[in-house]
Amino acid sequence: MDFANLKAKGLVRTAMAPPAVRAEFPFGLGEPGLHEIAESAYGDRAAATGFLLAAIGQGVCGAWVWVRQTSIVLDTGEVPEAALPGLSSRLRLTVQARTAQAGLWAAEEAVVSGAANLVIAEVEQSDFTSSRRLTLASTRHGVPVVLVLPYSCEGATAAASRWRLASRPSAPNRHDPHAPGHPRWRAVIERCRAVPSATGQAFDLEWNDETLSLSVVSGLAAGPAAPPAATDANRFRLRAG
Amino acid sequence: MAANAPARAVGIEPGLRLTDAKATLPDLLCEEIDRAADLKALTALAAWMVRFSPLVALDGEDGLMMETTGCDHLFGGEAALVSGMSDRLVQAGHGHRIAMGGTPGAAHALARATGPGEHPVLPSGREAEGLAHLPMATLRLSPEALILLRRFGLTRIGQLYDIDRKALTRRFRSRQAGDAVCLRLDQALGRRAEPFAPLRPPPEHVEYLPCPEPLTSSEGISDGLQQLTERLCSALAVQGLGAQGFMFSAFRSDGATSAVTVNAARPVRTPAHILRLFREKISRIDAGFGIDLLMLEASRTGSMASGSRPLSGDLAGTGFDAQAVSGLADRITARLGEGSVMLTVRHARRPPDKAERQVAYAGQVPEVEAAPILGPRPVRMLNRPEQVSVMAQVPDGPPLQFIWRRRLRKVLRADGPERIAPEWWTYLPPAPGERGRLPRTRDYYRIEDSDGRRYWVFREGLYGDDRGMDPEWFVQGLFA
Repeated sequence: MDFANLKAKGLVRTAMAPPAVRAEFPFGLGEPGLHEIAESAYGDRAAATGFLLAAIGQGVCGAWVWVRQTSIVLDTGEVPEAALPGLSSRLRLTVQARTAQAGLWAAEEAVVSGAANLVIAEVEQSDFTSSRRLTLASTRHGVPVVLVLPYSCEGATAAASRWRLASRPSAPNRHDPHAPGHPRWRAVIERCRAVPSATGQAFDLEWNDETLSLSVVSGLAAGPAAPPAATDANRFRLRAG
Repeated sequence: MAANAPARAVGIEPGLRLTDAKATLPDLLCEEIDRAADLKALTALAAWMVRFSPLVALDGEDGLMMETTGCDHLFGGEAALVSGMSDRLVQAGHGHRIAMGGTPGAAHALARATGPGEHPVLPSGREAEGLAHLPMATLRLSPEALILLRRFGLTRIGQLYDIDRKALTRRFRSRQAGDAVCLRLDQALGRRAEPFAPLRPPPEHVEYLPCPEPLTSSEGISDGLQQLTERLCSALAVQGLGAQGFMFSAFRSDGATSAVTVNAARPVRTPAHILRLFREKISRIDAGFGIDLLMLEASRTGSMASGSRPLSGDLAGTGFDAQAVSGLADRITARLGEGSVMLTVRHARRPPDKAERQVAYAGQVPEVEAAPILGPRPVRMLNRPEQVSVMAQVPDGPPLQFIWRRRLRKVLRADGPERIAPEWWTYLPPAPGERGRLPRTRDYYRIEDSDGRRYWVFREGLYGDDRGMDPEWFVQGLFA
């Protein structure tokens, strides 16, 4: 019997410290266990995707399995390879599923196969049973699983946490006041199994794609940028080249 | 018009007019000829005949041709094979004429000339004497050639043997018609080779499991499949091979076949894995009144990657366990359908929506190469650019307001343009005097609206570039 089989049966797994969920910002996001990231309104999927990649995507090598439901791909498109962190030892398999049920099945199959290092599933809906199954599989096999859900998802879940993501006006651009700067999001932790007191906490986050750091910005600085003077029609300064 | 045996018994021959036939027999049952359905039924029968020999071809509209070289000893000799085949066809309720010959032409002629219930076997090399007394119509000649030969008084194949070829050919209207007669004669006598085009290419590895009692239960089918898989895998292991395609066929005693296929991303020969793939599909096998033969074929064989496997994916040189990944891809493909597991590969095209391509995962490892240095790229790319109507625009600048998906969006900040030149080599220049579509430059802008959402929009064309209408605006992607 080979190692993958043993791993698939949960008999062996890579040794790791007991999962001690830290009671601070990511609340275990990116560690084995099921986490959910949801849009806060229609159109925030790009923010949810950006938060997902920023929070956990940077260091995970190996095989990624990215399950998408067809309707979501048709609505908000693909996550291109160019947007993913440029790791040399990464293989991303994308799985197209017609129904949410098939997508959740594929995600669970990827977790228990022992082949994937990170499983992301974008489905229209998930219920308590399937999230419980995914949680059990994920903790047993030590593979982080993230569900990216639409704004309409509500209700019970067995996931370790559920985040709700909204776009915020971007940071001021140091080089060009008229250009968007580093992206900012508002992440509200709706459910947190490990630290119940954290539920409802909101974080204003800024992602710096040069230093690859996700930082919390204070509420004052995260306000909307001052509207530019609207008097001159040609207010958009073109960048040379 | 075609006629079956009872109709022929009362004197209704093929080729008669329907009104004449009705006059002969007023309560005659008749049906429009449906060639498509005939072909379908004949192809289904051909799939079932694979149980006797893997090489089965269609022969005209109403015949099957089988190459049985090397198969006869499995059934106890050529005569036993032919009579066994005939018994099977009778059981399945098919009226048939059957004969065996050393060449396709001889077999064709004998089968057309033989009566029901006879199974002549003409040994190879004795075609000339075996065919001599057969009617000329069995020689696969055109109707015109048959009429001409009948006018000469040539009605038996044997009469052609002694005729001078040159003299015979000259009688025909064209040289081709004369040559065709000689070709058919030579092919029947084995003097010229005749290509054989089977319906399916012969499998590279195949295992059979005959069932003493017809199987009807799904447990029986699964057990049979398991036995076959183990035998096939050990046969593959002896040669150090694995296979990517497996086809499991069940032959029913009533002359029907049902088959399921599974595919693997890279060559495999692990029985457990193959059985797992079949498990999703095996319920599609229809047992009907009983299955009496199971067959498992392996195709697309290739050498397996040998050597020690990494203890875990993180320890492999590539960062992942390629074998485990392709096993996972196989299982998902078997359940969700072909092409559901994809890999994104870079594609050397200039438009950003074509710079990446999704290909079905086939066990490949993406090559590691430095990404070209590009401008900012969005975190989500729409499948195809969506056109937007721009309310206020300034030439050579981003829009101030635009409507995308029926909502007005006010642009607060913008950055750009990133100009991407068109691929002029993908367009055909329009003919002189015509106005065809011309390649247009795209200017990409990164913009942010009043809700804090960021978009990647582009303007196709420039103002006054003299390449068609006014430029159009599209949303290409969404920034985080």
